[in-house]
This record gives sequence, C-alpha cells and structure tokens, in this order.
Amino acid sequence: MNNLSFDSKRCGRIRQQLDSYLSNELLVETASEVVDHLESCESCSRDLESRMRLRDALQRAVANRPSPDSLRAHVLRKLRESQPRSFARVTVKRWCLGFASVAVVLASLFAAQWFNLRRGEQLIGSILKLGITDHLICAIKDHNYPELANPPDQIREKLGPRYAPLLQVVQRLPGFEVLEGHVCSIPGSDRKFVHFITRGQGTVLSVILTERNGARLPAGKFLASAESAGLSIYADHLSGMEIAGFESAQYFAFVVSDLSQHEIVQLARGLAPALNEKLHTIALLLTPNANDWLAKSVSLQILRETNQCNEKRRCEVQERQQNG
Amino acid sequence: MSHLTDLYRTASFLLRDPHEAEDLIQETYLEAWKSFHRFELGTNCRAWLFKIMFHRLHHVRRRLLKTSRVITIDAQEGQDELAAEPVVPQEIRDEDVLNALEKVAVEFREIVLLADVEEFSYKEIAETLKIPLGTVMSRLSRGRKLLRQELAEVARSYGINPRTKQAGAAETA
Repeated sequence: MNNLSFDSKRCGRIRQQLDSYLSNELLVETASEVVDHLESCESCSRDLESRMRLRDALQRAVANRPSPDSLRAHVLRKLRESQPRSFARVTVKRWCLGFASVAVVLASLFAAQWFNLRRGEQLIGSILKLGITDHLICAIKDHNYPELANPPDQIREKLGPRYAPLLQVVQRLPGFEVLEGHVCSIPGSDRKFVHFITRGQGTVLSVILTERNGARLPAGKFLASAESAGLSIYADHLSGMEIAGFESAQYFAFVVSDLSQHEIVQLARGLAPALNEKLHTIALLLTPNANDWLAKSVSLQILRETNQCNEKRRCEVQERQQNG
Repeated sequence: MSHLTDLYRTASFLLRDPHEAEDLIQETYLEAWKSFHRFELGTNCRAWLFKIMFHRLHHVRRRLLKTSRVITIDAQEGQDELAAEPVVPQEIRDEDVLNALEKVAVEFREIVLLADVEEFSYKEIAETLKIPLGTVMSRLSRGRKLLRQELAEVARSYGINPRTKQAGAAETA
C-alpha cells in the first residue's frame, strides 16, 4: 500500500511536468528525471504518447487549413492605399528620378570600369606578349648571349647603376647560370625591358622586368595557391611559352621559358621576395627624397622584416600541412 | 511576407469570421510597415509580427471577450492530474481536432496555437501576450487538457468510447 501511494505521488509529480517536457522547456536534470520515470511507468508513458499524438494531429490539421489565395494581394493593396495620394505621387516621381539617376551613374561607372578592365587586360596582355616576344627575339632568335657567360662586371655595366644590383638576385636562380643582362626593347615598342638571359635545365630562361606605370595585372591571372612572401604569383601561357611572375610597387617581373608551368611558377616564387626587395630599393633611390637615407633604411628594414615574417608564416603553414 | 500564412492561420482560429482575420492581418502588416524602424535587426521577425498581431487582436477582441466564456483555472488543477485523464483517440481526423479546438476558450486556445502549432517558447509567448511566464505554463496545461477533453467528447459522439484512464494508484490496484 505504501508502495502504491509512493508511485501515485510520483506519477502525479511527473505528469505535472509533461506539458513542459512536451514543449522542451524543462531543465536537463528535470527532463532526465522525467525520462527515467517514463521508461519504468507504462501509464505515464501512454499519457505522454497520447499528448504527443494530439499535438501532431493539431499541427497537421491547422497546416492543412487553406488560407485565401488573395490574402497576399490584399495586404499589399492595403499597404499601398495607406500612403497619402499626393505623397505617393511625389514619392513615386522622386523615386523614379532617383532610380534613373542612380541607374545612369551605375551604368557609367560600370562602363568605365569595363573599359578600364578591358584596357587593362589589353595592356597586360600586350606587356606579357612583349615580354615573351623580347625573350623570343632577343634571347632565342637573335641569340643575344654568349656561349660562355659574360663576366658579372660587364653585365653590371650594361645594366647601368640603376639595375646592376638586380644581377646578384638573378644569380641565385637555382640550376641556372646568368649569361647576359641588358636593357632592351623590341621593334615597334618604346617599352624598356631589363632582360637577364640564363641557361639551365637544358633550356634558355629569361628574367624580364618592366615598369608598371600604374597598370595592374588582371586578378584572374593570379594563381590562388601560389604565393611567395606575401606576393601573389600570376602565370600565363603565350606563344608556346610559360610565363610566371609578380608585380612589385613599380615593376612587373616575370620568368619566361619553355619549361612546364609548375617549374616556372616555382622559379618565380623563389625569385620574388629578394627581387621585390631590390626593386623597392631601386624605387626608393628614384624618389625625390632620395637623400633621406634614414627613411630609406627604415623602410628597407620594414620591408625585410615583412618578407621574413611572410616567409616564416609560409613555413609554418607548410609544416602544419605536412603534419596534419 | 513569408510569415503571412502562419499569422493568418492563427488569426483565423481566434476570430471565427475569416474576413475579420484577414482584416487583422492587413492591419498587422500595415502596423509592422509603419513601425519597421523599431524592429531590431537580427531579432526574430516572426515573433515581432505575432506580437503586433496580438496587440491589434487585443483591441479587436476587447468587446468580444466581455461576452465570451471565461474559464477560471482551478486552483486544484495541479493536484488533479491523475483524476480523470481523457485519452486521445488513436485515429484523429483534421475536422475533429479543429472542432475540438474551437470549443476551447480563446484565452487557452491562443496559447495552445502559439506553443503547439507555431512552436514559440514560453518566453516568446509571455512577451507576445504580455502575461507572466507562470500564466503561460498554467494556461497551456489547461488548454491542452481542455482540448483532450473536447476531442474525447467528439469521439464519444461518434460512438467511440476511448478508454478513460483512472488514477495511477487505481490502475495499479
């Protein structure tokens, strides 16, 4: 009798919680207590099942009741009608004028952007093409390099004081020997190219630099996966040649050869940080404040540290990828 | 207007005339449109619309409530859980549920709809109806029970006699 009385009390207490249990409003501990009881009490379990059945039936019945098709239209009409007529007319006119003005401005901006983009792409295309043409004409066709590499001093002299410091960077290209370095242009173009001709891996490879003059490389040509010390590497294939490089603050720099794109991209990645630093130095030397050596040295230090930091980050990412 | 149907459905079960329900929805959207600057971005838009609708409904219903059947909550309700629990029939037709729902007093019906159909939390219901959380819980409990009772009545009128459970102690005995 005592047991029965205890069960009755417990069932009563649990059933008081069933509504909140059904609404998922119980604390975890209380819900756990309810679940424990339901597992051992068939009567309460049946009660809960009955309540759930009713809730499901109610949801289904209400959802099945159709709403008038015209409801949405009526609500929209009500919203329209609620606006004062004169206000509505003025507002509509203003809106129309506003939209028209915005449309014209947007169209102009879009057109200008499109033309700039097209012009930029054409410009970049022509620069890349000229770069490759330079490699093809100057290095391959005209064979403007000796069988034995020119002495470094001679190359520096040809490059002039401005570009001579770049030689030591290009000399670091692994497996390649610098045969020649000069500043050249190709017939029909006044664009100047700083041109290094190197030999290695059974082929001839050019490292070419040319001033950007404010132009930018089209984003689509960048390789999302290829980056070197924070510099995005771009790659393209033109006239049977592979070309890969980057853009510094003032210059486009690229490597051209008939090697595979993967090899060319790797070489460009290896060359990019040091070459970028040297190009930055050259740009600093050409600034009006060239005499401000303190500013220059600080700026260079920052650039160097940034490169080191980027390189360190790249190593960490690589390590993580290898480990994980 | 993705919540339009939900709002209309609830309104149509609280105002028996479909035209009144449609008017209420139109007024709700108009009110929402006018006071949209008060809506806090990132909060629950659906709950906000229901809140506006019930605010409007309160005015519409004020006169109706004066004549409606008001059921007071039995103070002994909580202790009476095992007394005579009506059992919901196994097979329930849509029209039977809706007929039973219509017989439940509106102050309980609205909470059952908000909790069981629209699946709002107790807190959201309390904010929507501007009543204390405890009142939400007690009215929901009462409303569900009234619905079960009405449904059992409907079943009985069809000649179906759903087994009525007796107190747990009695069953065990």
